[in-house]
Amino acid sequence: MHNSDWKRHFGLREAGVYYALVLLMITLGVVTAVAGRPPYFSPINITNILYQSSMIAMMGVGMTVILITGNFDLSVGSVAALGAAITVGLAGPLGFWAAAVIALIACAMVGGLNGAIVQMLGINAFIVTLGTLTAIRGLVLILTNGRSLIVSTPEAKAQMVLFEGGKIPIQMLLIVGGILLMLWFGWRFLRARSNGEAVAVSVPGGIVAGVFLLLVALWGGPELTVAKPVIYTAIYTAIVWAVLSFTTIGRRVYATGGNAVAARLSGVNVGAYKMAGFILSSATAGFAGIMFGSRLGAVNPTALQGAELTVIAAAILGGTSLFGGAGSVIKTLVGALLLFTLTNGFNILNLGANYQGVIEGTVVVAAAAIYTVGGTRRKKAAG
Amino acid sequence: MSHSENHKDKQPLLSLTGIQKTFPNGTVALRGVDFAAYAGSVHGLLGANGAGKSTLIKILSATFPASGGDQVWKGKKVSFSSPLEANKSGIATIHQNIPLVPTLSVLENVFLWKERGWRRNPQDRVQFDDICKEVGYRIDPDDLVSDLSIGARQMVCILQALSYGADLIVMDEPTASLAKEERAIVYSTVRHLAQQGKGIIFVSHFLDEIVALTDEVTVLRDGQTVMYARTSEVEEADIANAIAGKTVGTLEHLREVRGTIRDEVVLQCKNLASPQGLAPTDLTLRAGEVIGVAGLLGSGRSELAHAIFGSDKQATGKVIMHDRLMGHSPRQSVKAGMALIPEDRDQQAIVPVFEIWKNNSLPYLDKTAKAGLFLQRDVEMEWAERAIEILNIKTDSPETFVTELSGGNAQKVTVARWLFGDAKLIILDEPTAGIDVGAKADILALVRKLAADGVAIIIISSEFEEILAVSDRIIVMRDGAVVAEREARATDDQELILLASGISENDVANAAQNKGTHHA
Repeated sequence: MHNSDWKRHFGLREAGVYYALVLLMITLGVVTAVAGRPPYFSPINITNILYQSSMIAMMGVGMTVILITGNFDLSVGSVAALGAAITVGLAGPLGFWAAAVIALIACAMVGGLNGAIVQMLGINAFIVTLGTLTAIRGLVLILTNGRSLIVSTPEAKAQMVLFEGGKIPIQMLLIVGGILLMLWFGWRFLRARSNGEAVAVSVPGGIVAGVFLLLVALWGGPELTVAKPVIYTAIYTAIVWAVLSFTTIGRRVYATGGNAVAARLSGVNVGAYKMAGFILSSATAGFAGIMFGSRLGAVNPTALQGAELTVIAAAILGGTSLFGGAGSVIKTLVGALLLFTLTNGFNILNLGANYQGVIEGTVVVAAAAIYTVGGTRRKKAAG
Repeated sequence: MSHSENHKDKQPLLSLTGIQKTFPNGTVALRGVDFAAYAGSVHGLLGANGAGKSTLIKILSATFPASGGDQVWKGKKVSFSSPLEANKSGIATIHQNIPLVPTLSVLENVFLWKERGWRRNPQDRVQFDDICKEVGYRIDPDDLVSDLSIGARQMVCILQALSYGADLIVMDEPTASLAKEERAIVYSTVRHLAQQGKGIIFVSHFLDEIVALTDEVTVLRDGQTVMYARTSEVEEADIANAIAGKTVGTLEHLREVRGTIRDEVVLQCKNLASPQGLAPTDLTLRAGEVIGVAGLLGSGRSELAHAIFGSDKQATGKVIMHDRLMGHSPRQSVKAGMALIPEDRDQQAIVPVFEIWKNNSLPYLDKTAKAGLFLQRDVEMEWAERAIEILNIKTDSPETFVTELSGGNAQKVTVARWLFGDAKLIILDEPTAGIDVGAKADILALVRKLAADGVAIIIISSEFEEILAVSDRIIVMRDGAVVAEREARATDDQELILLASGISENDVANAAQNKGTHHA
């Protein structure tokens, strides 16, 4: 049976998004080399993709959590814009850090409002957040008076640059991370062997990830740097992943989405978990908005319009179920990388942005098709 | 005895020989089933969960093809490619979960299968009336299906089957979720149809209805036909033995272990009521005591369970557990030592995306975890393995998804998971509905064992023999209220049925007479 377990974990349904990303990267690497375009596999290009995808990826992590609890959040784009507008607007008078905290709280409150309406009145989350999507965008227009906002003092601008700008060398970080991963999973492998247990699927995955990090460190050299938002997204994803995978909180999040009635009758505080999903999703969007506002020190009232669709696309590419109970933040991260790698590929191959939408849409639907078809096998046995 | 001896001159409507089915994942569901259905005969099909009944029915209805064997329909070898083709050839299947469109009317549902441009068709009404006459059952064609009771919906399915002009009607547990009165309507319809010359295949878990209703029975076990007989020539016990594959001890032995009641009061309900359909109820339950709740569907029995457990937010009155007043929170109830095994396994108990081990540790997850927060897979695995052992759950490993288990084994998972947290009060709502004889016995034996360990138990069931066997005290519910209370040893099946259904002695006599005329 462990055999079939392995088959499942490495099948298209479970690991498809990794295969897709690797395939796409290799294709782009080969094509750029053959066609004499600027190389795809250059440290600058790769770190660029990471930077461009970091904000969407972070919102995707929050989206994944709310999708796992069986809800939906269309308002993240508007909420992120609200976060950006509050940060930029208040950074002058109050200082960046105070403005950021207020922005975060305001955005979390929007999530609380979404959750309260969904939970108390029993209205579908899709409809409620469609409403807040529009209403919060309107609020942003009111706050900015329909014009672009620019941060008003140089001190605040400097604080924003400190928060968002600059690059961090990551070679040492990668080496330490790679070694830690290999040590931890290596130890688990040895323990499983000595106890005569089957080796869990995550063990070789962890070791491969460790080796991969070391190789990247070796390839990139000491000049390998990434922007701060990439670091924030990586840390945030790691924390959410750990909570979902290793704690009772995470298990209950999955149970809530898997079958809310059953979870409630088993003593899970389903209402609180669903509420937390909304708040987390909006607060994450708020943080992304703070990063966005700090990037330019300015915000446009129509900023991030439509971002929610990219965020949801990333989560779906990562195999998150729209029915709740299933999803992985790591795979959502990979899903976001896949989307931005596609965009990047179009740019360096100079293929014209017109085709981009068609290809991206096709990729999302194809992914959903693979997950659905691959998922039908796990049906109730007859008898 | 062979089929041909029973139907000397007649050709079977449908005959199956050596039907096999192997699923793509390697599960062998059928290993060679022989079966025949004749016009004008009601053929009972029985078997434990996982015996292959559902698979056989899905092959009959052409939901999926057989892997081997021959199907002969009206003298011709056939292999239907789609359910619609089977329907058009004259085989109608009424599945267990009723596939009607709730937002459409009865008439529209009955003729839903017709492919044509117009939504309304005056001829349909004429045909509808004809079918109703044929069945001897009348229902308003303009009623919305969503307004109908489950029993009435079942009848709409039967009407739909007849609208195809079906000659053979396959009914998969048509009475499983029906109350007694509603069952009577289905029974009389089945008899009526058989008299009209239709062939009926009737699948059921209820031995009594099989004995009363059918002309012949076939029992499946492990994907094979293990028994075929004329119903009038076999005893109920023989059928039960064929289903289980061993001699089933009756539930009688459970009675000997009664009387484990202690002095300590575990639960007190005072004026507990609910707008969902529960009149003010008082109840006191001691450690080691088993209270049986006898009631039909809609009698308020599940409402009582949810009111006690705190999952009914609108409930009023007091629930006092070990001198502590409880609120409307299942979470608090679980912490205080209550457990509820709800009626609807798939909707209310099982998390389908979870394996056995994750489902098993759900109620007491904190206890498996380090500091109540960090999951410890090995502890959870050990719990799951213990659960599998205690209740004899048939599976390869704790990593199996509960949705892949048969009904009885899935039910055992929902019971077993409450055994790890020192529960003081366990409420079982229809724990044995739709599960096989063996699983039933395992669960009931566990109930008595838990009582002996000092757990207070409330067991709700519409199978009164079970309650009689396992309870110390029985309360009877009807129309949302407790109508009677009896010591289990001072009452019997007959009395409980009378109390629960509110039928007077006269009505019972009349019902018996009616049955006599039908058989004549």
